[in-house]
Amino acid sequence: MTTTATPAVLAFVEDKWQEAFSNLNHHQPGISGLMTLSKAWKIAADFLRPRPLSQPRPKYNPVEVKMAFDVLGQTRLLYTVLENFLDDMHQQEYLIKHEVEEYMSKYEETDDPRIIAQLVNRLVEWFNAWHPLAEYDSSSVPDLWLADSQDDAPKSLGHVVTDHFTVAFHTHIYSILPPSFSRGFKVLVASTLPISDDMSDNVKLDQSAWESFFALGLVERYESLIASVCYEHIEGYIRKTCEGKWSEKMLTGMREWMTKKMVPWMCLPYARGAKNSEEAGKMMSGVGSRFDYHVCKVLCDLRTSEIFDMIVDFPDSKPALEDLKECLHRVDQRSNLVSTLRKANKKRLLHPGADTKDILTQYVSIIKCLRVVDPPGVLLYKVADPIRRYLRDRPDTIRCIVADLVGDGENGTSLVDDNDPLVPLVSRDVEDYTDVTWEPEPLDAGPDFRANKPGDIVSTLVSIYESKDLFVKELQVLLAQRLLNVTDGNYEKERRNIEILKVRFGEAALQVCEVMLRDMTDSRRIDQHVQSQKPSLLHPIIISRHFWPTLQTGTFTLPSRLRAVQEEYAREYTAFKPDKKLVWLSHMGTVKIEVELQDRTLEVDVPPVSAAIVELFSERDRWSVDELIAQMGRIDRPSVSKGLLVLVDLGILKEEETDNYRLLEIAEEPSSEPGAVPASRSAISMDELPGAQTAQQQQAEQVRMYWKFIEGMLTNLGLLPLDRIQTMLKFAPGYDRSIEQLGMYMEAARREGLVVAKDGMWRLNR
Amino acid sequence: MKVTIKSWNAIAQWRWDTGKADQDDADEEDVCGICRVAYEGCCPACKMPGDDCPLIWGECSHVFHMHCLLKWIGTGQSKQQCPMDRRPWVTAERKVAPSNSS
Ligand SMILES: [Zn+2]
Ligand SMILES: [Zn+2]
Ligand SMILES: [Zn+2]
Repeated sequence: MTTTATPAVLAFVEDKWQEAFSNLNHHQPGISGLMTLSKAWKIAADFLRPRPLSQPRPKYNPVEVKMAFDVLGQTRLLYTVLENFLDDMHQQEYLIKHEVEEYMSKYEETDDPRIIAQLVNRLVEWFNAWHPLAEYDSSSVPDLWLADSQDDAPKSLGHVVTDHFTVAFHTHIYSILPPSFSRGFKVLVASTLPISDDMSDNVKLDQSAWESFFALGLVERYESLIASVCYEHIEGYIRKTCEGKWSEKMLTGMREWMTKKMVPWMCLPYARGAKNSEEAGKMMSGVGSRFDYHVCKVLCDLRTSEIFDMIVDFPDSKPALEDLKECLHRVDQRSNLVSTLRKANKKRLLHPGADTKDILTQYVSIIKCLRVVDPPGVLLYKVADPIRRYLRDRPDTIRCIVADLVGDGENGTSLVDDNDPLVPLVSRDVEDYTDVTWEPEPLDAGPDFRANKPGDIVSTLVSIYESKDLFVKELQVLLAQRLLNVTDGNYEKERRNIEILKVRFGEAALQVCEVMLRDMTDSRRIDQHVQSQKPSLLHPIIISRHFWPTLQTGTFTLPSRLRAVQEEYAREYTAFKPDKKLVWLSHMGTVKIEVELQDRTLEVDVPPVSAAIVELFSERDRWSVDELIAQMGRIDRPSVSKGLLVLVDLGILKEEETDNYRLLEIAEEPSSEPGAVPASRSAISMDELPGAQTAQQQQAEQVRMYWKFIEGMLTNLGLLPLDRIQTMLKFAPGYDRSIEQLGMYMEAARREGLVVAKDGMWRLNR
Repeated sequence: MKVTIKSWNAIAQWRWDTGKADQDDADEEDVCGICRVAYEGCCPACKMPGDDCPLIWGECSHVFHMHCLLKWIGTGQSKQQCPMDRRPWVTAERKVAPSNSS
């Protein structure tokens, strides 16, 4: 019991009290004989008796009550009075029980937390009404419970009385509150939370509610429930505020919100009775760090669940990644991040429907993002492994990387941006013992972890494979194709590419490309000379064997008119370079021909084989494939068929019956194959560069796009034979593959473990 | 039908004329007897094939990268002989590769 009265007031009350007392005592010394013991007992018991709330304590004479307690104190009966009171209270507890039952059944019917609030208020009323010191609370009446002690001044039993009463009261109400109370109480506690999240608003707190909770011991009893209200509120707020918002750092804002909004509220349960903010701060420090941990944990979990899309969004999502880094310092959720990202990658990235380029792009983003989150690279190492293994098995990975390196990026998005340092490839296997930035490996690194030196992206990509030789080969093939495709004699871009690649792959690896480049410029110079000596229709690229990817030399017999053009050029060349001669790669290149037919004249670019075939058709307008082969010598059937197909597409020839072709002097309506695009056939020479994807791989790639359809089909229908799949795929937009191509693709999908084949039936591998 | 050739972008390889009546494209590779690198490749000292690393023809009918042979002749053990047949080396008159005399 605390008294807040000033000394002056106290002195005044003391005087008044002495005056009243001496009147009652008839100015006799002491108090003996003033009141009989039995009377004192009766007065005290009556004063303390727990009553129904409807019958308030009757008016009593404070002086008389005080006197009674003093008499009992002198006779050492105060403890007995207390016991008696507690017994009385026990007798009366049914009154409270009835009320609690009434309120709770109403609550269970309606689920209205206001009923719980009413109940709490009502219980507080009971508590106050029955409190043996209630009347004296914050009043200036002298202490009733003064026990006589032998030597010293009388000692107050006030706190003992309060403790006994409180324990008895609490014990009783907890024995009668049903389990549903905690549910209602949780809602009630939540209702005292700061409502507005507007940071400029001041928090309005319902302090009185918390005083009630304390009076009834609810704060101690429901400590974990109150904490969970807090945790849930924090989680809800963070999720609502931060979800999908990656372009700014949120952690600081969340902490500020905690300080401004949550801490004042949290002071109610956790810093009760603090006199000033310093004291409150001290009381809050343990709880505070627990809740700050929770803030980090919630944000960490949220960002972890969003990680895949954050990576897609990089670099816009950089602030969110920095938050994640900070959270991971506080909360050890690294392995969770790894497994979440690995799962997402497996589901969303590493499947046959995804483009290799897209996988690579995402991989590069993953590298960049995880460098932000975890600079030592342990997380990256763990996440990258399955991606790298998957990429290694894709037929076109090297080609994609190399195409990117030489700036073939189709839609302008390049894997390697300008920020990536132009440095020589880092060899993974060489430990650099002189590295002054060396740091011990992080604890969760694992045995095979090799600290990724802050290497460049290109090194990382190239290191997917055991050796860089494959890349160099592919680079050479790709550069060869590109050089042969340059028509305007401007090789600047390629020259620049080669310079850049030299830095990365080393001078020696690119030497071959240097030779190719020089062959191109030499060819141009030689052609200018030859043309000046004797103008020719022919403009050859003269290449150095051994320095270009192996090209087919097996040439076929050109019709005499074409052969004459070649021979004339070769003669001029040898006149210019007496020790050298030319060997023609007649399969390659393009011929621009003008074809005059009865009803039309066409000017078209065709491969030399087609030009040769046209030439033969100018002699006779019907040929079988076998006859053509006999005329053209040493040529394989597929090459002839391809050459024929070009002319069929151009509407010059028609296949009358299998392997028999006729010249169309008069154009015919194109009937069967409206989808064929003749223009695309003119650059056939490129296909003939070996080292390019095999045709089989290309076809598998093309069907890959339809994986989603196949997957859906097999999900719905279970088992399907190949021809059913083919029939159904015809409903997919743009599908025009043959059943053989589909078969090859399904075979590839089987090898990847996506589908299973049994007795000619396909199903998903689940 | 009348077919006119307007222009022709062709691809050819250059070869040294080693004097052998070569059967065109039989890919048996002729290599320099000294460095074992193909004639159309370049000697170990060079990076660019062709005019920058020409051949040299001997009267004995042996052909080498010029740089290889000159290096060989420069050594004492060569005794100025063809390394293949140990006959005194005589460069064939008519067949000296022109070096960039364009
Ligand atoms: Zn040599
Ligand atoms: Zn040389
Ligand atoms: Zn010789």
